[in-house]
Amino acid sequence: MANELLFFMEVLVGGLLAGTMYSLVALGFVLIFKASATFNFSQGAMVFFSVLAFCGFMQDFNIPFVLAFILAALLMVVVGLCTERLVLRPLMNASEDTVLMATIGLGYVLEGLAQAAWGVEVRRLDLGIGDFPVPWIADNLKLFISALDITAGLVAAIMIIGLFLLFKYTKIGLGLRAVADDAGAASSIGIPLKHIMLLVWSAAGVVALVAGCMWGARAGVQFALVDLALKALPVLIIGGFSSIPGAIIGGLIIGAVEKILEVYIGPFFGGAIEGWAPYVLAIFFLLYRPEGLFGEKIIRRV
Amino acid sequence: MSNNSANILDIKNIEVMYDNVILALHDVSLKVPKGKVVALLGANGAGKSTTLKAVSTMLASERGKVTKGSINYDGNSIEKQNPSQMVGLGMVQVLEGRRCFGHLTVEENIISGAYSRKLSKGDIDQELEKIYTYFLRLKERRKSQAAFTSGGEQQMIAVARAMMAKPKMLLLDEPTMGLAPQLVAEIFNIVKELNQKEGVSILLAEQNTNIALKNSDYGYIIETGKVMLEGTAESLLNNDKVKELYLGISKKGRKNFRDVLKEESLKKKIN
Repeated sequence: MANELLFFMEVLVGGLLAGTMYSLVALGFVLIFKASATFNFSQGAMVFFSVLAFCGFMQDFNIPFVLAFILAALLMVVVGLCTERLVLRPLMNASEDTVLMATIGLGYVLEGLAQAAWGVEVRRLDLGIGDFPVPWIADNLKLFISALDITAGLVAAIMIIGLFLLFKYTKIGLGLRAVADDAGAASSIGIPLKHIMLLVWSAAGVVALVAGCMWGARAGVQFALVDLALKALPVLIIGGFSSIPGAIIGGLIIGAVEKILEVYIGPFFGGAIEGWAPYVLAIFFLLYRPEGLFGEKIIRRV
Repeated sequence: MSNNSANILDIKNIEVMYDNVILALHDVSLKVPKGKVVALLGANGAGKSTTLKAVSTMLASERGKVTKGSINYDGNSIEKQNPSQMVGLGMVQVLEGRRCFGHLTVEENIISGAYSRKLSKGDIDQELEKIYTYFLRLKERRKSQAAFTSGGEQQMIAVARAMMAKPKMLLLDEPTMGLAPQLVAEIFNIVKELNQKEGVSILLAEQNTNIALKNSDYGYIIETGKVMLEGTAESLLNNDKVKELYLGISKKGRKNFRDVLKEESLKKKIN
């Protein structure tokens, strides 16, 4: 009995921590959704692009770890700058659907550029953190939990707190929330939209890089990261597209639920239900709580 | 840069097109003297909002363009400016329909107006207190989410937010739209006070001709993108045609100045 409980705990904790990896990816989507009211289909490509560049800097140019990370982050700021200038600004008056389509195109461009620059083979990313159980926890708590999962959890926590503080207490955060509510009114009182857009896309780029490092260390830096990022979709539906805490909680829920279902119910379906179980959960949310757990309700005064 | 002439805003014969095909303004000229309140009157679709947006340069975001004429603000052409630059120069537009940031609190809404200024936290608090002296009602509701405040309060938020940018000139687009008469009077009292105590020049677009003229120094009446009549507020209030067409004291079923002109030219022909 105790063993079974322990096993359940292990599945749960493993799932929750794996969920933070989804949360990290989802964060990037939320940032852009808040400012552009658009689901950024190129977020997955940004993850792939950023982490491949990071690996390229380290492995092809022998640049040290920290410097390579900074360079990759700067590169994502440049990508943000180009996106604002070449894609968003010309589409300033276009509908949200048009911008959505543009992000799909942007995704292809980034995927192509990344592979053209750094090649198509899978790269190994070694963060110096092993993806194996931490001995101390295994000995004392009898839980087998990966060090990488724990790191991802910590990194996610730090980023959430940072972004929360940024939005709630800084001037630029206020500007960003104002733009998210009504871009026209924001521009009428002198909030420069292009600065806000640039900031948001750069921030989303850096978040993509962090998420890419975590995923790359686990699964290898490869093209599949693009599709993996789409796992953020059910996370966002559950958490709410415009909520940072929502992205986190949504990620945790998806992570835990998919692992638990896989272990306990998976065998009845012949396994591998991890891949689609989150989407089933998302459908239920769409039916009964379309704004997600933390999404901003559409406020209408009666 | 600064300018000693008496007019803070000088619009000369502008024509405005949307999407390169829809002609919204044919020929609008108007002046706003420094420190005065000028009313721009007219029915729906006459071109009031378009005129204001031409001045604040917000037209560009609606695919509109000033195709003829010139607009001078504070002695300089505004041709190459964008909305945030105009705010930096002290020209702020309060858009039609209030447009508060619904998910932000009342206070956050007002503070967002100071975005273009480099102020310390202390300065912002000081400015905020000053703004609250004009908008007492908002101080009570400072922590409420703006979307849940009343229409009158939202209008006050919009004006207070614009005042946080420390404007030399305010463009108010239908500030009394959909408000109860009592609130209309309250809003106009505040506007008048801001004009007198803060020295803000005001260009006011309104459909409510009566109360707008009573609170203005000068007025322009536009119809289908053209200025039809202008004069001091007093002269317009006492003008028979204005009374008939805009103050609801109609006798003959004429609806606008175009009808009046047609009738007059018809009379001339007969005579």
